[in-house]
Amino acid sequence: MASRETADYKNTSQENTPFSNKSLVVEQCPSLQQLNYQGVAPIYLKMTRLFNLFCTAVTLSLLIISQRQPFFPLTSQNFNIISNIILIIGLLGLLNYWYGIVANKKKFFAIREQDITYCSGLIFQKTVTQPISRVQHVELKRGPIERKAGLACLQLFSAGGASHTFEIPGLLLENAESIRQFIVDHKTISSN
Amino acid sequence: MDTAETKVLNVYDKNALAHWQRMSPIAIIYFIANFIKVLLSNIVILLPALYLSYDFIMENLILGLTVIILLISFAVISTFLRFYFFQYRLKNDHIDIRSGVISKTHINLPFTRIQNVKLEQPIYYRWFNYTCLQLDTAGSAKQEAKIVALKADFAEQLKTEILAQHLSKKEPGTCNKPADQPLEPQKSVAEEVLNTRSIPDLIIHGLTNNRIWIFLGGLAPFFDDFSHYILQFFQKTGVDIEHLLTITDKPIWQIILYASTLTFLFLLIISLCSIAASILTFYRYTLSKLEDRYIRRSGLFTKHEVTMRLSRLQLVIRQQDWLDVLLKRINLTFEQINVSVNHNQMNAQNDKIIVPSIKPNECTKLLNDIYPENQMMTISYQAISKQFLLKNWGLILTPLCATLTILFIVGNKPLLLTAVLPLYVFLSALVVMRWYRWGYASDENYTYIRKGFFGVDYYCFPTYKTQQVHYKQSWFLKRHQLCSINFVLAAGTQSIPYINENKGLSLTDDTIFKVESTKKSWM
Repeated sequence: MASRETADYKNTSQENTPFSNKSLVVEQCPSLQQLNYQGVAPIYLKMTRLFNLFCTAVTLSLLIISQRQPFFPLTSQNFNIISNIILIIGLLGLLNYWYGIVANKKKFFAIREQDITYCSGLIFQKTVTQPISRVQHVELKRGPIERKAGLACLQLFSAGGASHTFEIPGLLLENAESIRQFIVDHKTISSN
Repeated sequence: MDTAETKVLNVYDKNALAHWQRMSPIAIIYFIANFIKVLLSNIVILLPALYLSYDFIMENLILGLTVIILLISFAVISTFLRFYFFQYRLKNDHIDIRSGVISKTHINLPFTRIQNVKLEQPIYYRWFNYTCLQLDTAGSAKQEAKIVALKADFAEQLKTEILAQHLSKKEPGTCNKPADQPLEPQKSVAEEVLNTRSIPDLIIHGLTNNRIWIFLGGLAPFFDDFSHYILQFFQKTGVDIEHLLTITDKPIWQIILYASTLTFLFLLIISLCSIAASILTFYRYTLSKLEDRYIRRSGLFTKHEVTMRLSRLQLVIRQQDWLDVLLKRINLTFEQINVSVNHNQMNAQNDKIIVPSIKPNECTKLLNDIYPENQMMTISYQAISKQFLLKNWGLILTPLCATLTILFIVGNKPLLLTAVLPLYVFLSALVVMRWYRWGYASDENYTYIRKGFFGVDYYCFPTYKTQQVHYKQSWFLKRHQLCSINFVLAAGTQSIPYINENKGLSLTDDTIFKVESTKKSWM
């Protein structure tokens, strides 16, 4: 599936007409509602789940160790405080784990000839559309875990500033690379 | 005029400029002034250290003095070294700058990449006729170059040449000139003054717009001392402030009198400071136009000159505070690419062009000059949904005030209780006005947003300059078929909240379509 997509991106970038965004008739003007959205890679869901669990586990075990260590005995009051903190962090960890699962399933992206759209958010749903002609530069960000899982995060920088970096997480590396190539080859960028 | 130009060109021989050269030694003054500025702005951090070591210094006077002398000589030497290692050259329409004593930096800027040329003349440069030249590039704040001492007329000439590069690049017909030739035909166009501000205008501006932060920012470290001295002053003159402020044993009229006098005094001082700050920044303000460039010059001590090409303009803001509405004055702001997000506010202030406190007819004239087809004041704005009221007033403000009331009744605090009602009325008025003001409109070329509280601000930007569009919906909004839209511009984000879902979608689609179908560059 990935290789087919790669081919698709290349095709469109090569046969770039002066301007094309499929249909320009008013009644069928390109709309965000008719996009073909894709979800993030399944392995990304798994990785974030494991990572969330791991983070919670590490925090909890550190707390438990510091609570029960024999070197600096705690007063019973402090002991209780730490117990409560452990409980709260455990609950938050569970909540975070659940949120991670649900929220990741709400992450979608779609690519058109002229722009990229990314939706996310569980309660506050946000759809960001980045016209490719306004992209200043492209980056692929890969942390150690993402490298292990063969994932990448695509970042598009525009003049809107660092706080408005367009970002799609959880892409398979080959997909991310072909999207990047598609953007770099895009006619509007080289002319900008 | 012509002879002057040729003379200037003779003095600044191109071949000589192509070699590395240092600035005039005048620059040392600039570096020293900068050093003092940095020292003063860090005084908050230094003061405790000084305070702690005060006794120690007093005890070991010789050692302390040596340390101080060493520090000063270190400052002087480093200043001199920085001056010595700062070199620049102009070659093939590139400017190269080498600087740095230990960590060296080398900046190479092609003239065509330069977005923005700013001239800044601190007061101590005025007698020597020198000026600072700052060159900004698009996007990154790291890549900006500043030559801190140039002869004023040479800086002027360099500026013209750099900006002319853009023009010749844009119009292929005129770009066949040899690079070493000055662009004579373009120099013949005279600068047209669009607007000037007189002192009364600036006084009005100071009154209506609180410019006090310019002062407060600089004075912040001394606040504690101030209050201390003021208390001491009153004590010396025999007035016991603390006694005066104890309100329990006084009749109500006396308390009101005190309160109003204090408020009045406070407002008076603030207004005076604000007026002073306004005059400081905008003294001898002129806005002029030279071909496609708008030039702002102003400043009492440090003269600033900001040049902006029309194509760099991202957003026009027509602002009126409530006092402006009463006095019928307008602040018009032209915003360009906001590169200095990480810089301090003063710097950001200097990037945009503000036309302070102009009259409506002057405003219309300027607006029509800059964006001839804009309908900022004539187009009909669509209101945002009444759900905005429901949420902010009904779901946040009212319950909050109700809770406070109950708390104060239970806690038996009658004074606070009486304050809740006026506060509630005031905040409600704010929310209602916010809703009433917030509107949006768009036409073929521009997107307009109107907002404000008691004052009213109009925002207008060419739709194709949008960098990114956010379409947002929370559960609450979705239930009412509403959405919020953010337009990310190079000059910041503009948002329209609580509009109908379908209208929001079509606005988003329309904006994206206009961005993608245009061949025009956003800068």
